[in-house]
Amino acid sequence: MLFTQLFINGLQTGALYALIAAGFSLIFGMTRIFHAAHGATFTIAGYIFYECYSVLHLSWPVAALAATFAASLFGVLLDRYVYAIIQRHEGSFFTVFVASFGMAIIVQNLIAMIFDRGAVTVSTPLSKSLEVIPGLYVAPIAAVVIACALIFFIALQWLLTKTNLGIALRALGENPNLIEVYGLTPRLLSQYVFLIGSILVVPAAILTAATSGLNPAMGNHVMLISIAATIVGGVGSLRGAAMAGLILGMAENLCLAVIDPQWSEAVTFVILFLFILFRPGGVYGRAVMS
Amino acid sequence: MIAYLQNIAVLFCINAILALTLNFIMGYAGIFSLAHAIFFGVGAYATAYIAMHASDSLLLCMAASAAISAILSMALALPALRVRGEYFVAASLGLQVIGVTIFSEWKSITGGLGGMIGIPRPKLWGYTFNDDTAFLMLALVVLGIVVGITALLVRGSFGRSLMAIRDSESAAQTYGKHVNAVKTLSVAVAAGLAGVAGSLYAFYISFINVESFVLETSILLMAMVIIGGTGTLFGPIVGAALLMSLPAALTYLPFLPPTELGSIQQIIYGLAMVLLMMFRPGGLVGGRSKEKSA
Amino acid sequence: MTTSTSPQEILLEIKNVNKNFGGLQAIDDVTLDLPAGVITTLVGPNGAGKTTLFNLITGHLIPSSGTIHWLGKPLKGFQPWQVARLGIARTFQDLRLYSQMTVEENVMTVTERSSWLWQGGRQAAEQRVTEILTETQLLDKRHERAVDLAYAERKFLSLARIMASEAKLWLLDEPASGLDPRSFDRFVTLLRDYAKRGITICIIEHNLDIVIKLSDRVAFLDQGKLLAQGSSEDILKDPHLAAIYFGERA
Repeated sequence: MLFTQLFINGLQTGALYALIAAGFSLIFGMTRIFHAAHGATFTIAGYIFYECYSVLHLSWPVAALAATFAASLFGVLLDRYVYAIIQRHEGSFFTVFVASFGMAIIVQNLIAMIFDRGAVTVSTPLSKSLEVIPGLYVAPIAAVVIACALIFFIALQWLLTKTNLGIALRALGENPNLIEVYGLTPRLLSQYVFLIGSILVVPAAILTAATSGLNPAMGNHVMLISIAATIVGGVGSLRGAAMAGLILGMAENLCLAVIDPQWSEAVTFVILFLFILFRPGGVYGRAVMS
Repeated sequence: MIAYLQNIAVLFCINAILALTLNFIMGYAGIFSLAHAIFFGVGAYATAYIAMHASDSLLLCMAASAAISAILSMALALPALRVRGEYFVAASLGLQVIGVTIFSEWKSITGGLGGMIGIPRPKLWGYTFNDDTAFLMLALVVLGIVVGITALLVRGSFGRSLMAIRDSESAAQTYGKHVNAVKTLSVAVAAGLAGVAGSLYAFYISFINVESFVLETSILLMAMVIIGGTGTLFGPIVGAALLMSLPAALTYLPFLPPTELGSIQQIIYGLAMVLLMMFRPGGLVGGRSKEKSA
Repeated sequence: MTTSTSPQEILLEIKNVNKNFGGLQAIDDVTLDLPAGVITTLVGPNGAGKTTLFNLITGHLIPSSGTIHWLGKPLKGFQPWQVARLGIARTFQDLRLYSQMTVEENVMTVTERSSWLWQGGRQAAEQRVTEILTETQLLDKRHERAVDLAYAERKFLSLARIMASEAKLWLLDEPASGLDPRSFDRFVTLLRDYAKRGITICIIEHNLDIVIKLSDRVAFLDQGKLLAQGSSEDILKDPHLAAIYFGERA
């Protein structure tokens, strides 16, 4: 029974991680920007939702929309006004990463100052766990999480394969010169990538707010998962990152059957190290040579 | 007042050593590490353990701290350097996270969350550094030695190898540089010297626990290096001085709520990082914007 | 500098080398010898496989089949840095200079082979660097950063690095492209000088004028196959090859 419980928890966590990782992997794979502020986007989305829903008592669709708006605005503006400037004159991996990181620090601390250092949760009618069968506690929201993740991934798949924008986006990662053929510019496309990547975190943020709660430093954990999943799944593979996110979420929960909770985060990194050691290309990625 | 200043001075020396060593790999080799606080911690715990259970000899403890940190770093470097730079960032982040968990859980060696108390002052050739002023002298000497070693390495053939690898790894390979060996060695040197800083820290504060070696610390060190200026010898020292004086400077601004000072500090260096990367990637000392390669 | 190799000694032997990437046959059964002191030029249309051939020699790529022998020994499974230490050096079409380092440092670091923290031989190295910078007329720019140099100076710096490598085989990828006539003549003189000292040089070049002025021998590659080799006159006068080169295929 413990195993089943952990399995279901793992599915829920994994679904959230898959969404987060997909957003990061999309951005990194297509623009080669190590968007260390991805965690910040997540935190912003979560807290805006919390503010609108739990504090201002707006309806949840409105709150969700506000969160989406805030997250996408953050991602897009960051790309337009910070990354673009850096890339114009120098744009080395290091410089962009540091700027991104700096942004993440600013956001984390601003939120800590505005809201509170401690954790907050959004309670919804769906959050309460029900004893489905003796010993097995599941909250209806778990089903919402998994359903949401599936819907978003299907939508993403459709976007990337069936629309002109999606195809152009995939071209951006492979060969930036082809983009002009579609009447777009790499810069504009980059904005779209950040838009989509940032939107992908919003459902994950909202659902995390409703399940385990929010705290200002959660962006760090989000980044760890994003990076680990992107590498384990294979750089450049969206499917890989999502799959890896799922695996990491499952592993993090299932391992609780054998080890203490403090070590669960370490499990993620042990998996990461093993991949770097033996299969740096990840599950789906291209072969990686220095 | 004197005691207060002496205290800051010792901590400055320790932070400067950490910043210098981090710059060695970040600014000169182009290797981005988020795990520097862990090597600092390993050095501190090693010295604490040896000093409390075996010997309080300065040289022995420092040597042990340096060696253990250096060897540990190679465990990180060897696999992670085989692949691209982004992977090393991830791996170092992983090491930082796992390291903190180990520091917190390995009670028999690190004292767990409670840490280690009662670390004695070190002894060198019969003299014990109980006096704070004497310890400050010691710290300055160690800092001087680290600056000297760094300068020698950076201005010599090894430094050129590092910079060649940083500027064009493929060309460096083509002209005979064994890239992995050079990178691994540079990480080992940086980690070893960070371990020495840890040793100093443990001896000075006499009480250490995991809180000093968390991700925030690695981030602070990174900020010092970046703001001061990567790839310059004195940049990290300037960065260390600046970022250490920030908390004190902030207390002089009456309109800032004291409970939020920590966050405000972090916001300031976050902002500094963003603005510097946009307009002056070489940092305050480095200045000149780095241009795209030749 | 005197050499111990006799005039026509074969230093590099490429035998029946193939390289395919998935379905693409990049190099198709190429056999080529590079003798000491001879300047060989590789010509051919774009995508013919010239740079791929270089990559196979330097260890950046591994042949799918066939052998490459250097000084009689096979070059199998060596990493690029090991191949470099065996005496083979190359330049890149995009130069890849150490942009933030000075001219002097760029050349100096090539002479410093060891990965260890300190290495000796500093004085001899400094002397050699000065010699090389004088030969390439970069001495007055020795303290300038590579990224600040003019185009022709960068090309010469690229050459200076390879001179410092003390390699016996130089693989040059379009080394003289875009040089003004005076710099070009200087370049050619320098190359001929080193060839006389027994260095084997293989150049990838597109500009036929350059090919004529520089080469002792020409090898024509197309779609991974070595179609012909011989003196520059023979190759360049062949109408069939000219047709391929200029894009008119049968």
